[in-house]
Amino acid sequence: MPFETVNSKVVRAQVTPQRAVLARRGAMLGLTGEVVFRPVQGQGAGVGGRIGAALASESNAMMATTGSGSVLYGFRGLHVTVLDLDGREQLFVEADRLLAHDADLQTSVMFLGSGGLRGAVRGAATGQGLFTTQLSGVGAVALLSHGGAFPLQVSRGESVGVDPQAYVGHTGQLDVDLKAKVGWRDAVGKGSGEAFQLQVTGSGTVYVQASEKKF
Amino acid sequence: MASLTADGRILNVDLHGDVVRAAQGSMVAYTGNVDFKGAGMGGGDGFRAALKRKAAGESLQLMECSGSGRAYLAVDAQYVSVVDLANDTLSVESESVLAVTPGLKLDVKFAGLGGAMAGQGVATTTVTGTGQVALLSDGPMIRLEVVPGQPLVVDPQAFVASSGQLSTSIVSGVSWRSVVGEGSGEAFSMKFDGSGLVCIQPAER
Repeated sequence: MPFETVNSKVVRAQVTPQRAVLARRGAMLGLTGEVVFRPVQGQGAGVGGRIGAALASESNAMMATTGSGSVLYGFRGLHVTVLDLDGREQLFVEADRLLAHDADLQTSVMFLGSGGLRGAVRGAATGQGLFTTQLSGVGAVALLSHGGAFPLQVSRGESVGVDPQAYVGHTGQLDVDLKAKVGWRDAVGKGSGEAFQLQVTGSGTVYVQASEKKF
Repeated sequence: MASLTADGRILNVDLHGDVVRAAQGSMVAYTGNVDFKGAGMGGGDGFRAALKRKAAGESLQLMECSGSGRAYLAVDAQYVSVVDLANDTLSVESESVLAVTPGLKLDVKFAGLGGAMAGQGVATTTVTGTGQVALLSDGPMIRLEVVPGQPLVVDPQAFVASSGQLSTSIVSGVSWRSVVGEGSGEAFSMKFDGSGLVCIQPAER
Protein backbone atom coordinates (compact mmCIF):
# COMPACT_ATOMS: atom_id res chain seq x y z
CA MET A 1 0.00 0.00 0.00
CA PRO A 2 2.10 2.93 -1.19
CA PHE A 3 -0.52 5.63 -0.54
CA GLU A 4 -1.70 6.52 2.91
CA THR A 5 -4.35 9.21 3.35
CA VAL A 6 -3.25 11.96 5.72
CA ASN A 7 -6.58 13.75 5.48
CA SER A 8 -9.23 14.01 2.80
CA LYS A 9 -7.01 16.20 0.64
CA VAL A 10 -3.47 14.94 1.19
CA VAL A 11 -1.85 11.54 0.62
CA ARG A 12 1.50 10.27 1.78
CA ALA A 13 3.44 8.00 -0.57
CA GLN A 14 6.22 5.67 0.53
CA VAL A 15 8.93 5.67 -2.09
CA THR A 16 11.60 2.95 -2.14
CA PRO A 17 14.30 2.22 -4.73
CA GLN A 18 12.10 -0.65 -5.96
CA ARG A 19 8.93 1.39 -5.98
CA ALA A 20 8.80 4.73 -7.75
CA VAL A 21 5.73 6.93 -7.90
CA LEU A 22 4.49 9.05 -10.78
CA ALA A 23 2.76 12.24 -9.71
CA ARG A 24 1.31 15.37 -11.19
CA ARG A 25 4.10 17.88 -11.63
CA GLY A 26 4.22 20.39 -8.80
CA ALA A 27 1.91 18.40 -6.52
CA MET A 28 4.56 17.69 -3.90
CA LEU A 29 3.77 19.33 -0.56
CA GLY A 30 6.54 18.01 1.63
CA LEU A 31 8.93 15.10 1.99
CA THR A 32 11.32 13.26 4.26
CA GLY A 33 14.26 11.12 3.17
CA GLU A 34 16.35 11.12 0.03
CA VAL A 35 13.95 11.67 -2.82
CA VAL A 36 14.57 12.94 -6.33
CA PHE A 37 11.97 14.34 -8.72
CA ARG A 38 12.48 13.87 -12.42
CA PRO A 39 10.10 15.28 -15.02
CA VAL A 40 8.51 12.78 -17.36
CA GLN A 41 6.65 13.72 -20.45
CA GLY A 42 3.31 12.22 -21.20
CA GLN A 43 2.32 9.05 -19.50
CA GLY A 44 5.72 7.42 -19.42
CA ALA A 45 4.69 4.48 -21.55
CA GLY A 46 7.58 4.53 -23.99
CA VAL A 47 8.03 6.65 -27.08
CA GLY A 48 4.82 5.44 -28.66
CA GLY A 49 2.78 6.26 -25.62
CA ARG A 50 4.41 9.61 -25.40
CA ILE A 51 3.57 10.54 -28.97
CA GLY A 52 0.08 9.17 -28.56
CA ALA A 53 -0.51 11.17 -25.43
CA ALA A 54 0.84 14.34 -26.97
CA LEU A 55 -1.34 13.93 -30.04
CA ALA A 56 -4.36 13.38 -27.88
CA SER A 57 -3.50 16.30 -25.62
CA GLU A 58 -4.47 13.82 -22.92
CA SER A 59 -1.07 14.23 -21.35
CA ASN A 60 -0.54 15.89 -18.08
CA ALA A 61 2.87 17.04 -16.99
CA MET A 62 3.95 14.30 -14.61
CA MET A 63 7.05 13.75 -12.56
CA ALA A 64 8.69 10.57 -11.35
CA THR A 65 9.55 10.38 -7.68
CA THR A 66 12.48 8.07 -6.99
CA GLY A 67 14.77 7.35 -4.06
CA SER A 68 13.67 6.37 -0.60
CA GLY A 69 11.51 8.34 1.74
CA SER A 70 7.95 9.53 2.13
CA VAL A 71 6.34 12.28 0.10
CA LEU A 72 3.15 14.26 0.68
CA TYR A 73 1.01 15.04 -2.36
CA GLY A 74 -1.96 17.38 -2.74
CA PHE A 75 -3.32 19.71 -5.37
CA ARG A 76 -5.31 22.96 -5.03
CA GLY A 77 -7.25 21.76 -2.01
CA LEU A 78 -9.08 19.15 -4.07
CA HIS A 79 -10.29 15.93 -2.50
CA VAL A 80 -8.18 12.86 -3.03
CA THR A 81 -9.56 9.35 -3.47
CA VAL A 82 -7.18 6.38 -3.36
CA LEU A 83 -8.12 3.35 -5.45
CA ASP A 84 -6.32 -0.01 -5.47
CA LEU A 85 -6.07 -1.86 -8.74
CA ASP A 86 -5.72 -5.61 -8.36
CA GLY A 87 -4.59 -6.30 -11.92
CA ARG A 88 -7.91 -7.78 -13.03
CA GLU A 89 -9.65 -4.48 -13.66
CA GLN A 90 -8.68 -1.40 -15.55
CA LEU A 91 -9.38 2.15 -14.49
CA PHE A 92 -10.52 4.72 -17.01
CA VAL A 93 -10.00 8.30 -15.96
CA GLU A 94 -9.27 11.76 -17.31
CA ALA A 95 -5.54 12.51 -17.25
CA ASP A 96 -6.01 15.77 -15.37
CA ARG A 97 -7.66 13.91 -12.50
CA LEU A 98 -4.53 11.86 -11.77
CA LEU A 99 -2.69 13.09 -8.71
CA ALA A 100 -0.29 10.19 -8.33
CA HIS A 101 0.01 6.51 -9.13
CA ASP A 102 2.43 3.63 -8.82
CA ALA A 103 5.07 3.78 -11.51
CA ASP A 104 4.43 0.05 -12.04
CA LEU A 105 1.00 0.73 -13.47
CA GLN A 106 0.71 0.84 -17.23
CA THR A 107 -0.98 3.86 -18.66
CA SER A 108 -2.26 4.21 -22.16
CA VAL A 109 -4.43 6.65 -23.96
CA MET A 110 -7.68 5.36 -25.35
CA PHE A 111 -9.46 6.95 -28.25
CA LEU A 112 -13.13 7.31 -27.50
CA GLY A 113 -13.81 7.60 -31.19
CA SER A 114 -13.10 3.88 -31.50
CA GLY A 115 -16.64 3.46 -30.23
CA GLY A 116 -17.74 4.92 -33.53
CA LEU A 117 -18.94 8.39 -34.20
CA ARG A 118 -20.99 8.39 -31.01
CA GLY A 119 -17.91 8.12 -28.84
CA ALA A 120 -16.30 11.01 -30.63
CA VAL A 121 -19.41 13.14 -30.30
CA ARG A 122 -19.62 12.26 -26.64
CA GLY A 123 -16.11 13.48 -25.95
CA ALA A 124 -16.59 16.69 -27.89
CA ALA A 125 -20.00 17.49 -26.44
CA THR A 126 -19.06 16.90 -22.84
CA GLY A 127 -15.81 18.78 -23.01
CA GLN A 128 -13.96 15.70 -21.94
CA GLY A 129 -11.90 15.48 -25.07
CA LEU A 130 -11.76 12.53 -27.38
CA PHE A 131 -9.37 10.53 -25.26
CA THR A 132 -9.27 9.04 -21.80
CA THR A 133 -6.41 7.51 -19.91
CA GLN A 134 -6.51 3.84 -19.09
CA LEU A 135 -4.55 2.41 -16.16
CA SER A 136 -3.88 -1.29 -15.74
CA GLY A 137 -1.72 -3.53 -13.58
CA VAL A 138 -1.37 -3.90 -9.84
CA GLY A 139 -0.97 -0.77 -7.75
CA ALA A 140 -2.64 2.24 -6.27
CA VAL A 141 -3.95 5.43 -7.86
CA ALA A 142 -4.78 8.74 -6.19
CA LEU A 143 -7.53 10.65 -7.99
CA LEU A 144 -8.51 14.30 -7.68
CA SER A 145 -12.10 15.42 -7.39
CA HIS A 146 -14.03 18.47 -6.24
CA GLY A 147 -15.92 17.41 -3.14
CA GLY A 148 -14.83 13.78 -3.10
CA ALA A 149 -15.55 10.93 -5.48
CA PHE A 150 -18.29 8.53 -4.44
CA PRO A 151 -18.61 5.07 -5.95
CA LEU A 152 -21.82 3.95 -7.63
CA GLN A 153 -22.15 0.23 -8.28
CA VAL A 154 -23.56 -0.73 -11.63
CA SER A 155 -24.81 -4.25 -12.20
CA ARG A 156 -25.96 -5.94 -15.36
CA GLY A 157 -29.43 -5.07 -16.54
CA GLU A 158 -29.55 -1.66 -14.96
CA SER A 159 -28.18 1.63 -16.11
CA VAL A 160 -26.88 4.66 -14.29
CA GLY A 161 -27.07 8.16 -15.66
CA VAL A 162 -24.20 10.51 -14.82
CA ASP A 163 -23.72 14.20 -15.44
CA PRO A 164 -20.69 14.49 -17.75
CA GLN A 165 -19.16 17.23 -15.60
CA ALA A 166 -19.52 15.13 -12.46
CA TYR A 167 -18.04 11.97 -14.00
CA VAL A 168 -14.63 11.12 -12.53
CA GLY A 169 -13.78 7.66 -13.85
CA HIS A 170 -14.86 4.04 -13.90
CA THR A 171 -13.62 0.48 -13.43
CA GLY A 172 -15.00 -2.80 -14.67
CA GLN A 173 -16.82 -3.86 -17.81
CA LEU A 174 -18.78 -0.73 -18.43
CA ASP A 175 -20.05 0.95 -21.53
CA VAL A 176 -20.25 4.71 -21.31
CA ASP A 177 -22.44 6.35 -23.86
CA LEU A 178 -23.63 9.89 -24.33
CA LYS A 179 -27.34 10.44 -24.33
CA ALA A 180 -28.75 13.75 -25.46
CA LYS A 181 -32.19 14.76 -24.38
CA VAL A 182 -32.46 18.09 -26.05
CA GLY A 183 -36.00 19.26 -26.41
CA TRP A 184 -37.65 22.50 -27.36
CA ARG A 185 -37.36 23.62 -23.75
CA ASP A 186 -33.56 23.61 -24.00
CA ALA A 187 -33.72 25.50 -27.27
CA VAL A 188 -35.61 28.36 -25.65
CA GLY A 189 -33.37 28.34 -22.60
CA LYS A 190 -35.89 26.79 -20.23
CA GLY A 191 -34.29 23.37 -19.96
CA SER A 192 -33.60 21.41 -16.84
CA GLY A 193 -29.85 21.82 -17.28
CA GLU A 194 -29.54 18.08 -17.74
CA ALA A 195 -29.64 17.88 -21.51
CA PHE A 196 -26.57 15.67 -21.79
CA GLN A 197 -26.12 12.58 -19.68
CA LEU A 198 -23.66 9.73 -19.72
CA GLN A 199 -25.48 6.42 -19.76
CA VAL A 200 -23.41 3.79 -17.97
CA THR A 201 -24.33 0.13 -18.49
CA GLY A 202 -22.66 -3.21 -17.73
CA SER A 203 -21.09 -4.27 -14.45
CA GLY A 204 -18.55 -2.27 -12.53
CA THR A 205 -18.16 0.90 -10.53
CA VAL A 206 -18.46 4.46 -11.70
CA TYR A 207 -17.00 7.30 -9.62
CA VAL A 208 -18.93 10.56 -9.39
CA GLN A 209 -17.97 13.83 -7.73
CA ALA A 210 -20.33 16.07 -5.76
CA SER A 211 -19.85 19.01 -8.06
CA GLU A 212 -20.07 19.97 -11.69
CA LYS A 213 -16.88 21.96 -11.60
CA LYS A 214 -13.93 20.97 -13.69
CA PHE A 215 -10.66 22.32 -12.52
CA MET B 1 -43.80 9.20 -1.15
CA ALA B 2 -40.51 10.71 -2.27
CA SER B 3 -37.86 10.95 0.40
CA LEU B 4 -34.68 12.99 0.70
CA THR B 5 -31.59 11.82 2.58
CA ALA B 6 -28.43 13.84 2.96
CA ASP B 7 -25.10 12.04 2.62
CA GLY B 8 -22.36 14.61 3.21
CA ARG B 9 -22.17 16.62 0.02
CA ILE B 10 -24.66 14.47 -1.86
CA LEU B 11 -28.45 14.40 -1.61
CA ASN B 12 -30.14 11.07 -2.32
CA VAL B 13 -33.62 11.51 -3.74
CA ASP B 14 -35.75 8.36 -3.75
CA LEU B 15 -38.62 8.75 -6.16
CA HIS B 16 -41.67 6.51 -6.24
CA GLY B 17 -43.62 7.90 -9.14
CA ASP B 18 -43.84 11.41 -7.73
CA VAL B 19 -42.21 14.74 -8.50
CA VAL B 20 -39.43 16.44 -6.55
CA ARG B 21 -38.41 19.95 -7.50
CA ALA B 22 -34.68 20.64 -7.37
CA ALA B 23 -32.15 23.30 -8.30
CA GLN B 24 -31.58 23.31 -12.02
CA GLY B 25 -28.56 21.35 -13.22
CA SER B 26 -27.84 19.82 -9.81
CA MET B 27 -28.11 16.16 -10.90
CA VAL B 28 -24.77 14.35 -10.77
CA ALA B 29 -26.06 10.78 -11.26
CA TYR B 30 -29.21 8.69 -11.19
CA THR B 31 -30.38 5.08 -11.32
CA GLY B 32 -33.73 3.85 -12.53
CA ASN B 33 -36.14 5.78 -14.69
CA VAL B 34 -35.83 9.39 -13.71
CA ASP B 35 -36.76 12.27 -15.96
CA PHE B 36 -35.53 15.85 -15.62
CA LYS B 37 -37.59 18.69 -16.93
CA GLY B 38 -37.34 22.46 -16.50
CA ALA B 39 -40.04 23.58 -14.08
CA GLY B 40 -40.79 26.69 -16.09
CA MET B 41 -41.01 30.29 -15.06
CA GLY B 42 -43.07 29.89 -11.91
CA GLY B 43 -41.06 26.89 -10.77
CA GLY B 44 -44.38 25.06 -10.45
CA ASP B 45 -45.92 27.62 -8.11
CA GLY B 46 -48.01 29.49 -10.60
CA PHE B 47 -47.82 32.79 -12.36
CA ARG B 48 -48.18 34.98 -9.30
CA ALA B 49 -45.18 33.40 -7.57
CA ALA B 50 -43.16 33.85 -10.75
CA LEU B 51 -43.98 37.54 -10.94
CA LYS B 52 -43.15 38.09 -7.30
CA ARG B 53 -39.90 36.26 -7.70
CA LYS B 54 -39.01 38.35 -10.70
CA ALA B 55 -39.87 41.60 -8.91
CA ALA B 56 -37.87 40.62 -5.86
CA GLY B 57 -34.89 39.44 -7.86
CA GLU B 58 -34.86 36.14 -6.01
CA SER B 59 -33.41 33.84 -8.60
CA LEU B 60 -34.54 30.28 -8.14
CA GLN B 61 -34.21 28.09 -11.20
CA LEU B 62 -35.91 24.78 -10.59
CA MET B 63 -36.30 21.54 -12.45
CA GLU B 64 -38.72 18.69 -11.89
CA CYS B 65 -37.35 15.22 -11.19
CA SER B 66 -40.03 12.61 -11.83
CA GLY B 67 -40.29 8.86 -12.28
CA SER B 68 -39.08 6.10 -10.03
CA GLY B 69 -35.54 5.47 -8.95
CA ARG B 70 -32.84 7.34 -7.13
CA ALA B 71 -31.29 10.63 -8.15
CA TYR B 72 -28.06 12.00 -6.68
CA LEU B 73 -27.95 15.78 -6.45
CA ALA B 74 -25.04 18.05 -5.54
CA VAL B 75 -23.92 21.63 -6.17
CA ASP B 76 -20.29 22.74 -6.12
CA ALA B 77 -19.33 20.27 -3.39
CA GLN B 78 -21.43 22.13 -0.83
CA TYR B 79 -22.74 20.33 2.22
CA VAL B 80 -26.33 19.10 2.15
CA SER B 81 -28.77 18.88 5.05
CA VAL B 82 -32.42 17.95 5.13
CA VAL B 83 -35.02 19.84 7.20
CA ASP B 84 -38.42 18.24 7.96
CA LEU B 85 -41.37 20.60 7.94
CA ALA B 86 -44.71 19.75 9.54
CA ASN B 87 -47.20 22.43 8.56
CA ASP B 88 -44.54 25.02 9.09
CA THR B 89 -42.80 27.82 7.21
CA LEU B 90 -39.07 27.95 6.54
CA SER B 91 -37.45 31.19 5.43
CA VAL B 92 -34.38 30.52 3.34
CA GLU B 93 -31.89 32.17 1.03
CA SER B 94 -32.92 31.20 -2.48
CA GLU B 95 -29.43 30.02 -3.48
CA SER B 96 -29.44 27.58 -0.56
CA VAL B 97 -32.47 25.59 -1.74
CA LEU B 98 -31.45 22.27 -3.31
CA ALA B 99 -34.71 20.30 -3.41
CA VAL B 100 -38.27 20.24 -2.04
CA THR B 101 -40.70 17.30 -1.84
CA PRO B 102 -44.24 17.55 -3.23
CA GLY B 103 -46.69 19.18 -0.84
CA LEU B 104 -44.41 22.11 -0.17
CA LYS B 105 -45.01 25.53 -1.65
CA LEU B 106 -42.29 28.01 -2.48
CA ASP B 107 -43.07 31.69 -2.26
CA VAL B 108 -41.32 35.02 -1.87
CA LYS B 109 -41.68 37.19 1.19
CA PHE B 110 -40.64 40.81 1.16
CA ALA B 111 -38.30 41.50 4.03
CA GLY B 112 -38.29 45.26 3.69
CA LEU B 113 -35.47 47.68 3.98
CA GLY B 114 -33.65 45.73 6.64
CA GLY B 115 -32.77 42.97 4.23
CA ALA B 116 -31.48 45.41 1.68
CA MET B 117 -29.21 47.06 4.22
CA ALA B 118 -27.79 43.76 5.31
CA GLY B 119 -26.94 42.93 1.72
CA GLN B 120 -29.48 40.14 1.54
CA GLY B 121 -31.81 41.71 -0.95
CA VAL B 122 -35.32 42.87 -0.21
CA ALA B 123 -36.88 39.42 -0.24
CA THR B 124 -36.41 35.93 1.08
CA THR B 125 -37.83 32.68 -0.18
CA THR B 126 -40.31 30.84 2.02
CA VAL B 127 -41.13 27.15 1.95
CA THR B 128 -44.52 26.29 3.45
CA GLY B 129 -46.34 23.02 4.12
CA THR B 130 -45.49 19.50 5.16
CA GLY B 131 -42.54 17.65 3.67
CA GLN B 132 -38.78 17.80 3.37
CA VAL B 133 -36.45 20.54 2.17
CA ALA B 134 -32.81 19.94 1.27
CA LEU B 135 -30.56 22.92 1.96
CA LEU B 136 -27.05 23.71 0.76
CA SER B 137 -24.39 25.22 2.97
CA ASP B 138 -20.80 26.18 2.40
CA GLY B 139 -19.33 23.90 5.08
CA PRO B 140 -21.32 21.73 7.52
CA MET B 141 -24.63 23.31 8.57
CA ILE B 142 -24.99 24.54 12.14
CA ARG B 143 -28.48 24.38 13.69
CA LEU B 144 -29.10 26.87 16.48
CA GLU B 145 -32.15 26.71 18.73
CA VAL B 146 -33.75 30.02 19.71
CA VAL B 147 -35.73 30.16 22.98
CA PRO B 148 -37.88 33.05 24.22
CA GLY B 149 -35.94 35.61 26.20
CA GLN B 150 -32.64 34.65 24.62
CA PRO B 151 -32.35 36.36 21.26
CA LEU B 152 -29.85 34.98 18.75
CA VAL B 153 -27.68 37.25 16.62
CA VAL B 154 -26.11 35.94 13.40
CA ASP B 155 -24.09 37.35 10.54
CA PRO B 156 -26.41 37.91 7.53
CA GLN B 157 -23.83 36.40 5.20
CA ALA B 158 -23.70 33.19 7.23
CA PHE B 159 -27.50 32.92 7.55
CA VAL B 160 -29.06 30.05 5.61
CA ALA B 161 -32.58 29.44 6.91
CA SER B 162 -34.93 29.88 9.86
CA SER B 163 -38.24 28.36 10.95
CA GLY B 164 -40.67 28.70 13.82
CA GLN B 165 -42.19 31.75 15.50
CA LEU B 166 -39.34 34.17 15.06
CA SER B 167 -39.22 37.88 14.52
CA THR B 168 -36.20 39.23 12.69
CA SER B 169 -34.58 42.58 13.14
CA ILE B 170 -31.37 44.11 11.94
CA VAL B 171 -28.81 45.18 14.49
CA SER B 172 -26.49 47.88 13.29
CA GLY B 173 -23.06 48.29 14.77
CA VAL B 174 -22.13 51.19 12.57
CA SER B 175 -20.03 53.78 14.35
CA TRP B 176 -17.47 56.36 13.35
CA ARG B 177 -14.93 53.51 13.19
CA SER B 178 -16.77 51.81 10.31
CA VAL B 179 -17.01 55.13 8.51
CA VAL B 180 -13.27 55.66 8.55
CA GLY B 181 -12.67 52.04 7.52
CA GLU B 182 -11.55 50.76 10.89
CA GLY B 183 -14.68 48.73 11.61
CA SER B 184 -14.69 45.22 12.98
CA GLY B 185 -16.28 43.89 9.80
CA GLU B 186 -19.50 43.10 11.64
CA ALA B 187 -21.46 46.26 10.86
CA PHE B 188 -24.84 44.54 10.39
CA SER B 189 -26.22 41.53 12.18
CA MET B 190 -29.54 39.71 12.15
CA LYS B 191 -31.32 39.30 15.46
CA PHE B 192 -33.89 36.56 16.02
CA ASP B 193 -36.46 36.77 18.84
CA GLY B 194 -39.02 34.16 19.82
CA SER B 195 -38.80 30.40 19.57
CA GLY B 196 -37.59 28.42 16.57
CA LEU B 197 -34.61 27.14 14.65
CA VAL B 198 -31.92 29.09 12.79
CA CYS B 199 -29.51 27.39 10.40
CA ILE B 200 -26.18 29.03 9.60
CA GLN B 201 -23.12 28.03 7.59
CA PRO B 202 -19.50 28.34 8.71
CA ALA B 203 -18.66 30.70 5.85
CA GLU B 204 -19.67 34.16 4.73
CA ARG B 205 -20.90 34.68 1.21
